[in-house]
Amino acid sequence: MSAGSAIDLPTWRHRHLLDVDRLTWPELETLMAVADRFATATADPATKLDVLRGVNVTILFYEASTRTRVSFEIAAKKLGADVVSVTATGSSVTKGESLIDTVRTLEATGTRMLVMRHATSGAPYLVPAIFGGNVINGGDGWHAHPTQALLDLYTLREALPAPVGSEAGSKAGPGAEAAWSLRGRKVAIVGDLLHSRVARSNLWTLTAAGADVWACGPSTLLRGFEAWAATGAGGRHFTATSDVDAAIRDADAVMTLRIQKERMAGGLLPSLREYAATYGITRERLRGAKPDVLVMHPGPMNEGVEIAPDVAEGPGSLITSQVHNGIAIRMAVLALLDAAGPVA
Amino acid sequence: MTDLDLSRVWLVDPGRGREGPAELVVRRGVIRAIRWLRGPEAEGIDDRGIVVAPAFVDLHAHLREPGNEAAETIASGLLAAAHGGFGWVGAMPNTTPAVDTPGSLELLDRRVLDAGQDLPPGEGTPGVLAWGAVTVSRAGEQLAPLAELAGAGVVGFSEDGAPVRSAAILRSALAYAGMLGLPIVDHPEDHGLTEGAEANEGLVATVLGLKGWPAAGEVAAVARDIAILEDVVRDVPAARLHLTHLSVAGSFELVRAARARGLPVTCDVTPHHLALSDEWLAGARRWAWEALDEAGRRRDPWVDGALVAEPYDTATKVNPPLRSPEDARACRMALRDGTADAIATDHAPHAAIDKAVEFGLAANGITGIETALGVVLAAVDAGELTLARAIALLTVGPRRVLGSSLGPDRIGVGQLAELVVFDRSTTWQVSPGTLRSLGKNSPLLGRALAGRVLLVLHLGRVAYQDGGGAER
Ligand SMILES: [Zn+2]
Repeated sequence: MSAGSAIDLPTWRHRHLLDVDRLTWPELETLMAVADRFATATADPATKLDVLRGVNVTILFYEASTRTRVSFEIAAKKLGADVVSVTATGSSVTKGESLIDTVRTLEATGTRMLVMRHATSGAPYLVPAIFGGNVINGGDGWHAHPTQALLDLYTLREALPAPVGSEAGSKAGPGAEAAWSLRGRKVAIVGDLLHSRVARSNLWTLTAAGADVWACGPSTLLRGFEAWAATGAGGRHFTATSDVDAAIRDADAVMTLRIQKERMAGGLLPSLREYAATYGITRERLRGAKPDVLVMHPGPMNEGVEIAPDVAEGPGSLITSQVHNGIAIRMAVLALLDAAGPVA
Repeated sequence: MTDLDLSRVWLVDPGRGREGPAELVVRRGVIRAIRWLRGPEAEGIDDRGIVVAPAFVDLHAHLREPGNEAAETIASGLLAAAHGGFGWVGAMPNTTPAVDTPGSLELLDRRVLDAGQDLPPGEGTPGVLAWGAVTVSRAGEQLAPLAELAGAGVVGFSEDGAPVRSAAILRSALAYAGMLGLPIVDHPEDHGLTEGAEANEGLVATVLGLKGWPAAGEVAAVARDIAILEDVVRDVPAARLHLTHLSVAGSFELVRAARARGLPVTCDVTPHHLALSDEWLAGARRWAWEALDEAGRRRDPWVDGALVAEPYDTATKVNPPLRSPEDARACRMALRDGTADAIATDHAPHAAIDKAVEFGLAANGITGIETALGVVLAAVDAGELTLARAIALLTVGPRRVLGSSLGPDRIGVGQLAELVVFDRSTTWQVSPGTLRSLGKNSPLLGRALAGRVLLVLHLGRVAYQDGGGAER
């Protein structure tokens, strides 16, 4: 079943989505508004649009990630695109095929939009110079995970629709959308900031939305963020602290980050047990937050380490919404970049 | 041989500590007359036009041959050096194989001769100063035949590309080389702190998600080296340590203190560490002194519009990494106050294939021997260095580090001409086409640099002559 190309897209000036650092607040609002329309248009799971009909989308992942890859695949298919997924394992690297060679081959075989995941920070920045189509960063090293930050923002907008001080009022109608922001809201990001592209991208988008952002983790995993917070690079002001109770106090939302076992080998953490005891997000710890605090996690989770199972499945958990909203946001990104056009 | 009349030029003779309007006559490659001009004769001549100085000496360059001729050959490296105004080039021994025997030195000498072979009479190449490896195959385990290498003509020893890893080997090498009257050049880096590091630890690395390269990774190594030197000189007073490409404030503090105690330690700074900073990795392209405000505080390139290029340009990836603007300021301070003895280029050409990869996988290094003068003149234009000091750091400074016989320190009548002539009033465009080096890995591509080199004379022969408009 096709809904036709009834979706009229606003103008979009970016041909690529490599990072969210230079997206303005009106641009973020536009993205979310377009995501709303795709969410409505595809509310029936059988619906397929033809916004990207005839467009070859390649999802090139140099790093395993079922969740993000599948979400992009579904988003592209719902838009009517032809989708190919390429998982480049270590073997193609050892064979010596460079990223540039791979992208050139993909372009020659018809790829017009490239979604890329790479373990090295900055890798997608190599692509625009040699590729005529649109590039979407599906996560690069520790640097950025733009669509995750966008879907997180979108999820918070859905969960906290009313401006601060008007919770008593009715749910915001369509007219209130333009005025939505996170001003007056406190969002804590807790975990391994140092290695987290999710945290970096969220710092840009959450501060753009006006939130009071607190970055929190043990000092070894927060290195550099204290200085970033102190200088406010990009005029983005946030707070960095190792005091988890201070970070959570009166928070409207707590975003937990995945802790990886490898971090202990580098001497950054004594043990996962100690981490869980000191920084794990539990019901007990959340008592300091707002009573209806929201809890988020980009997945995949280590339940019982960075987040307690009853919190992950508890009333304030947005984890399922995050996964669900990822599709509409990725549809919006794909459609807008396509509308911005190929190389002039 | 060369005949030349340089009239109405600004002559800088750092060996005499003198500069001013002058004229110079060269006949058959030999300086026949030097006349300092005064009064009406000197009118209209200043240090912003044609400048004549001793040809530059680079303590630190990588010529890549043998082993990586796609990055540079001895012939292309010498062309690049001449284009940069250099008369002597210190070639680092980290080739494949390494320069660790008198035999490997012969190959180098033969290639230098080859490079000059087919040139017309009166023309030549810059000279090569060979550094020998400290250990066999640069493996860090067994001392290379240092005395034999000295006999074959090396100017000292270095493991550059890497530090002398073992403290015990460094201690022996300092003593043994000291006995031979030669310095050990160390690349100070504590690998325990820099493993996998991608960018100077600090704001830029944090925002870009690059693994931090801490200042302590250099300072700890400098401290170790100085402690070992202090120990060795008690028994071997002739031992000498040269620390190359120092890049952070803490390193200069240690060197300053060591020199105050009378220790025989010298050091150099690269043009890129004195003039560029880590914000270039994020896409800024302004000089390091422009990255600080009047109060000396770091400006924020994310808000002040300084990010004009794409981030993660692999041409900005270098070891040691481009540091903070404050560290670059400490480099210039050290160059001004004499803590640093020389500007050395660490010319590190790479083949395109080694740079056209992900930032974290890209080779470290900047091709820099041709842009050194332009970068240093930018610092002079900004009032960060005087012209005389800048030239001293490229000439008598490195000569004193070598402490050997490159000929007299002063420009004098009767000498074979060893001169560079450049024009501060004209610029040249840095581009893959204008760079003679096979390595095009310069973060300055696309930029116009002042101080176009017009002529280089090395031992009385023309090593470089400007061809006219091709560079604009
Ligand atoms: Zn080095």
